[in-house]
Amino acid sequence: MILTSKRILMGNEAIAFGAMKAGLQVASGYPGTPSTEVMETIASHASKYGIYAEWATNEKVALETAVGAAYSGANTLVTMKQVGLNVASDPLMSLSYIGVKGSLVILVSDDPGPHSSQTEQDTRAFGHFSNIPVLDPSTPQEAYDMAKLAFRLSHEMEIPVILRTTTRVSHGCADVVTEDIEPAGRDIEGYVKEPRWTIFPKLTAQRHPWLEDLQIRISDRFSDHFSENTFNSISKGNSKIGIASSGVSSLYTNEATNKQTGTFSHFKLATVHPFPEKAALEFLSDITDLIVIEELDPYLEEQFLQLIGRHHLDVNVYGKKNGHFPVSGEYDVDVVIEGVNSSLQSMNAEVPLLTHSTPVVARENIPSLPVRPPTFCAGCMHRTVFYAFKKAAAKLKKENGKGTVFSGDIGCYTLGNAQPLNMVDTCLCMGAGISMAAGLSHTQQYQEGNYAKQVAFIGDSTFFHSGIAAMISAVYNNADITLAVLDNRTTAMTGHQPHPGIGLTAMGNPTKAIDIAEVLRSCGVDLVETIEADDLGKCIETAKMAIEYEGPSAVVFKGKCVGITKATGQYVIDEEKCTGCNFCVSQLGCPAIFSMSSGIPQIQDNCTGCSLCAQVCPSDAIDLREVLQ
Amino acid sequence: MKFDILIAGVGGQGVVLASRLLATAAIDAGYHVATAETIGMAQREGSVTSHVRIGDEVCGSLIPAGNADLIIGLEPAEAARNIHFLSKDGSIVVNEHAVIPSASANNAEYIPEHVIEFLKENCQETINVDFTQLAKEAGTYRATNVAMLAAAAGADLLPFNPEELWSVLEKMVPEKYRELNRKAFDMSLERVSGMKDPEKQEQVQVQAMDT
Repeated sequence: MILTSKRILMGNEAIAFGAMKAGLQVASGYPGTPSTEVMETIASHASKYGIYAEWATNEKVALETAVGAAYSGANTLVTMKQVGLNVASDPLMSLSYIGVKGSLVILVSDDPGPHSSQTEQDTRAFGHFSNIPVLDPSTPQEAYDMAKLAFRLSHEMEIPVILRTTTRVSHGCADVVTEDIEPAGRDIEGYVKEPRWTIFPKLTAQRHPWLEDLQIRISDRFSDHFSENTFNSISKGNSKIGIASSGVSSLYTNEATNKQTGTFSHFKLATVHPFPEKAALEFLSDITDLIVIEELDPYLEEQFLQLIGRHHLDVNVYGKKNGHFPVSGEYDVDVVIEGVNSSLQSMNAEVPLLTHSTPVVARENIPSLPVRPPTFCAGCMHRTVFYAFKKAAAKLKKENGKGTVFSGDIGCYTLGNAQPLNMVDTCLCMGAGISMAAGLSHTQQYQEGNYAKQVAFIGDSTFFHSGIAAMISAVYNNADITLAVLDNRTTAMTGHQPHPGIGLTAMGNPTKAIDIAEVLRSCGVDLVETIEADDLGKCIETAKMAIEYEGPSAVVFKGKCVGITKATGQYVIDEEKCTGCNFCVSQLGCPAIFSMSSGIPQIQDNCTGCSLCAQVCPSDAIDLREVLQ
Repeated sequence: MKFDILIAGVGGQGVVLASRLLATAAIDAGYHVATAETIGMAQREGSVTSHVRIGDEVCGSLIPAGNADLIIGLEPAEAARNIHFLSKDGSIVVNEHAVIPSASANNAEYIPEHVIEFLKENCQETINVDFTQLAKEAGTYRATNVAMLAAAAGADLLPFNPEELWSVLEKMVPEKYRELNRKAFDMSLERVSGMKDPEKQEQVQVQAMDT
């Protein structure tokens, strides 16, 4: 008997439990919002269920690690966010030709909006590109159930399967029915030598027809929605208008149309790639107009358009391509109502339009409110380092008239772009700050002496992710750059995961800690300094020295993320001494300090006692009030 | 049954924990629940919201505009920023304590009292208390979120009562902070107990004059 229990789970936790129920044995990933909690949940249950779980240095490494284990017959999972899949795309594209033994599920979280990503890219398109099946759950419960389906499918078809979620599934919580998990154990066949595991042009040519044939077989299987639970469903309406949707958009569709239940036929797709053509054709046979509702790319819309064209069907399609639905941004019930109404008006349907609820105050009637852009936390060490480089660069500019370009990177420190620091001149993707600084240093403008030096900032986890190769390339190619490593002893942005510099694995076991300064020295950087980030004067001095050094230089700034440490005290403004110059506010942008247009600044409860404001105050008017225990 | 709650605040105020507590209480009461929470970059001192949808049917986690039965605003401007989610019969529980953004954001003057007035003008059932001060009196400003949930339950604005809510809190709050949170919870209940009942309110005022 399978024992079940109902509990509140975040979608990511539900996926972890689904994977563990499916017999997961090896898991690897790199943290990235909104995917991170899948691996965190597995790591915290790993020893209990006999699973091996790790944080890899990047997504390519994570995938390759899982592939190795899968070749040995293990049930494996690899986790990442949508931009992480770009990093892992090299092994992925080859892997689809080769396939796997055991099972391999790739959890990729997309971020429509985007809330915390560089792009709004759609992993369904990556499935199409790489010929890998994609499952698209709409709720945490489906995420749990479809994680199990993904492992089953991967094992049976001998191909990796992508389980793709979006933010509202990954980071939404819901009541989820889960089953008791038996420890999986490490009982696997083991690696068996076969030519099949070594990719060569000849093998690729042999495997390609298999891969293409597999697409048709899986499409047929996904179409078979009545005999097997594929999570696809078709409900018939009493009009000739149909709606097709996938993922969380299916729920928005249900809610948007719930006052007209029975009007529209609804095809909810959960197995989105390979497109279940037979089921789609059956759905299209009863309708004259099709509204496609999906976030991100018009993936389903294109699949339907192709199918309709190929079969010469007389069905009009309404979606992103003809402007009825937005092509970017996150959807919700209101967006869906607007899109459906626009479609209905366009088709002159004799169906009443959908209605919005009436808010007590319309959004446009809300008076102007203070904006609250995300910024460094109060007490964050990054603020000190960025401010130090700002001061050092200003001094150099004064001395020799040369400017400095600051290349940022991906992590908490991307927020160095916020006013008043304004210290991120370029930011592209992880590791790019170093390579871009190198590229900038090889331009004529720099060679002609208009710039002092190219400065790149990178965090500790990102340094291990993709900073090392960039630094080696920069040194090898004589790029004149200064690297500032912002080492706050954790992967802060995604929720404080350990990394190779910490000396602790994902499962909490002690391991060898890799010293970033030593890595930099062995990369050929001649000037490498390591300093604590709490003394502003020393930080400015060191920054200036590193910039002035001829050739590649690096400074590792060490501090501790305030997200995982306790406040050391609180500062207060001495009203007697304060001249109201507002220097502390205008220079630092610390969220603990504010000032009204009249009066002296004040320090709020979130002060952690970092002392930076006291160090910059020209009147010595900021004092430590109490040292908290 | 369908009951939608929007919790709004500033990163670090405990919005996510508040929504988890409500969601757990909803499951214990036998409902389906769906939440949408702000996690990641936006949390760094930015505006954060959590949507909590409680009901008999599984639904998407984002509340449509004009659908929220209750807004819990841990900060006045954040409550106002999200008032377009509130339905015509909805209620607001709002913290009077403002978190003022650093002036570097180039903001116009933020006067929290004006924002509270705006909320009261647009929502008849608005409960406004300096919950941060109340939590400080109980022992720590960090218990503000718990105090506000207690106020909502105590004022009968949730689909479960204060005892049901506390039994969830008791399970979820670590033991060393439990007593402190209980104190904030009780002080908040007492504070709102008079607000819905004019007779009691009068007594509270009389007591206040005595002391």
